[in-house]
Amino acid sequence: MTDTTAASLAAPAADKPAAGRPRRNLIALVLFLAAIFLVPVAIGDQFVYHVFITICLFAGLSTAWNIVGGFAGQLSLGHAIFYGIGAYAGIILMNMGISPWIGMFAGAAVAVVAAIVISYPCFRLKGPFFALATIAFLEVFRVLALHFSGLTGGATGLMIPLKLGWEWMVFRERLPALVIVYGMMLVSLAAAWWIRSHRLGFYLVATRERESAAQAAGVSTVKVRLIAVSVSAALCAMFGTFHAMYLTFIEPAAMFSLTTSIQIAMFALIGGIGTVFGPLIGAVFLVPVSELARGWLGAHALGLHGFVYGIVLVLVVLFMPNGLMGAMKRMFGKAEPERGVQAASVAATPRASERPAIGHEIMVADHLDKHFGGLHVTNDVSFSLKEGEILALIGPNGAGKTTVFNMLSGFLTPDSGGVKVRDAAGNFVSPTTPGDFAAIGVGRTFQIVQPFAAMTVEENIMVGAFHRFHDVGDAREAARETAHRMGLGPWLNAEARGLTIGGLKRLEVARVMAMQPRILLLDEVMAGINQTDVRRAIDLMLSIRDTGVSIIAIEHVMQAVMSLSDRVIVLNSGQIIAEGKPQDVVRDPTVIEAYLGKEFTHAHA
Amino acid sequence: METFLQVLANGLMLGALFAIVSIGLTLIFGIVKVVNFAHGEFLMIGMYLTFVVTGWLGIHPLYTIVIVAPLLFLAGAATQRFIIQPLMSARDDHIQIFATVGLSTALINLALLIFGADIANTPSGGLRTPVEIGPVRVLSGQLFILIAAIALVIGLRLFLQKTQTGRAIRAVAQNRAAAQLMGINVNRIYVLTFGIGAACVGLAATLIAPLYPTSPNIGTYFVLTAFVVVVLGGLGSIGGAFVGAMVIGLIDSFSGFYIGSDLREVAVFGVFLLILILKPSGLFGKSLNLSHVSP
Repeated sequence: MTDTTAASLAAPAADKPAAGRPRRNLIALVLFLAAIFLVPVAIGDQFVYHVFITICLFAGLSTAWNIVGGFAGQLSLGHAIFYGIGAYAGIILMNMGISPWIGMFAGAAVAVVAAIVISYPCFRLKGPFFALATIAFLEVFRVLALHFSGLTGGATGLMIPLKLGWEWMVFRERLPALVIVYGMMLVSLAAAWWIRSHRLGFYLVATRERESAAQAAGVSTVKVRLIAVSVSAALCAMFGTFHAMYLTFIEPAAMFSLTTSIQIAMFALIGGIGTVFGPLIGAVFLVPVSELARGWLGAHALGLHGFVYGIVLVLVVLFMPNGLMGAMKRMFGKAEPERGVQAASVAATPRASERPAIGHEIMVADHLDKHFGGLHVTNDVSFSLKEGEILALIGPNGAGKTTVFNMLSGFLTPDSGGVKVRDAAGNFVSPTTPGDFAAIGVGRTFQIVQPFAAMTVEENIMVGAFHRFHDVGDAREAARETAHRMGLGPWLNAEARGLTIGGLKRLEVARVMAMQPRILLLDEVMAGINQTDVRRAIDLMLSIRDTGVSIIAIEHVMQAVMSLSDRVIVLNSGQIIAEGKPQDVVRDPTVIEAYLGKEFTHAHA
Repeated sequence: METFLQVLANGLMLGALFAIVSIGLTLIFGIVKVVNFAHGEFLMIGMYLTFVVTGWLGIHPLYTIVIVAPLLFLAGAATQRFIIQPLMSARDDHIQIFATVGLSTALINLALLIFGADIANTPSGGLRTPVEIGPVRVLSGQLFILIAAIALVIGLRLFLQKTQTGRAIRAVAQNRAAAQLMGINVNRIYVLTFGIGAACVGLAATLIAPLYPTSPNIGTYFVLTAFVVVVLGGLGSIGGAFVGAMVIGLIDSFSGFYIGSDLREVAVFGVFLLILILKPSGLFGKSLNLSHVSP
């Protein structure tokens, strides 16, 4: 489903090798959009008008839904809430003599507030739970709309007062309604396109793919999602206002309905979830089918069109999981991105001549204590990292190394104790969230690699580069440079999920390097890579250090530990058992005992 | 006081009803890890089957269990085998959710196509007779549901704890890959579990059909509450689902009486949202410590 490369179909993929393709796609897109307006006007039939107005309505709603459901990956089945709010705001205000053109924005404002209030507590929920929560909210809204009948008319519904004309958005003929909804659909598409092709879109997709990795890259995941849901809700509310004027009558069961919510999501799914134009294509294909089925068969065979709808949905999911956009891409698009030969690994790095002297403390871990249930994972761990230093953190499995890292990067809060970091200005601060740590220049990698699987290698690194650059072009430039430095050049356009484990490890490092951190936390970046690569990785780390970056590395590859580190800290069962120069630490009996057991130490004694 | 006791009794009876509908769902949710949005439609199919079979054979609706439960087992097993299983490796849950949503839509409309929008009343077979227990009155059919729900909880527990198949099912739920390495045919276990979950709904359907009118949308009415119950009880916890159902039944009953019958759902869903947001593992679910895996 998650199809990011298709989104770049129309995104200004300026530097794609085939420069002719974007232009051809753009022309096709313009013709397609023009046809949606011109076909009904040319035919002039009432029913055809109605079908195309419905297409524009659902394409617009579905495009707006896709910003949350597709880009951000939060499967909302409650989007009818916002649509319903817009509809009620429009008609209630119109009854008070206020034009729906104003009501539309009032509805959008209310919807944004509702969206934020609903979404904020729900972001912790994953997949099906988020979907269930949105359904529950939808039910609550429906029941409340029925209950507060003074405002909403309750189960009897609301009629619009009979006022015709542009001012009231109500018309006898169909053309003006088409003009309005077509324009709104274009706005919705433009919003989705803008988001997808700017930093916000990258951040949303990164958050969807790996929330923790996105946080480590400095993405404020809650904020970007709130922005997405606000935009989406505002757009849906405006469509709701329009539709209320078009229907002239609304009631809670129809406005806050689960069926509508499902339909909105379904068009996106069938067209291609997460793509900019997928929802439009889904609506163009399915709305006519359903309207015709309703028109022709509805009276004779109650339920037939719904039955067909359901079956189509199941079949699409089973056989076309990337939707129509995915299928079209397979037919017309280029073949799979070339998977470059597993050639050049990390490029040999020329070393700077002079290493900067080790400076003052830059990061201080102060009496870190952490329990997981009854397990004391870290027990009074205190150490400090000096500027320009490489500090290795070693210890047997389960010693608490990764837990220390998680506390050093804000992913875990210590039960007691804290972490202090010296900022660029030289003052010690105590960041608490992963975002704070990233902002102050602490970058980290993950032991279990966390690539943004659906993004290309380049886009993965760009997410890191966006920490420094706001502009897509600049970020792309920086990402490429980093990729070449990390030996990932040949795979720039490959999807991250296609990389080998060695490639993914390098991608982890590349993403964090693109952020240009001042302090780098590397969690077992050498595990599982071959000897040559270990040597090159060591050189690379040294060259990073020479640029003035301070590094803490968890590492099991002793060759690397010995040749890289200025200082080694040994952790065992949550406690620091040794600290010192690498040569001394490896001879320390307590360390040998921790790794190999008492018997071994005795045997050698 | 008498009113209070009656409201309490109504709440417990309602709870039993929710419990018997939710047990199959929590089994599927906990073991196959799929949110089956078509669960309510399985109930609807079961109720129509009860209606049809009772009519054809002219037997007591409760006897239809021998036909309805096996048929639903097959329906559930087929759903898992042909719709869910091909999607098990899908990269995210959207896909599975949409598949079951599609199935749900298709089934509701299929029922509409066959039976029309009118409600179908299964003969009550004497199950709507009021029974007096001390100061409160309940229907005999409701008592049957309560007894059946308790029996089902105990039976499933014994099955999962004591039998080889049950142990295999629990192993798969805890770690799919490890279970596979131990020689368990994971796909077969999933098909079996889905079938059992659906058969539980079949049992529920034969008990509910004599009390409630059957309509194509009846499943939607129950399924949302069933999800509330499952989340409240803790995913996959069968005993938890039973207690969760009782809690929801009581909330429904008391809020309906003391706040207003039209706001019952707000109370139920309000509790649901609070639980989801504050304690997503449910009242009885255990939260896993995954510090190493997912910071």
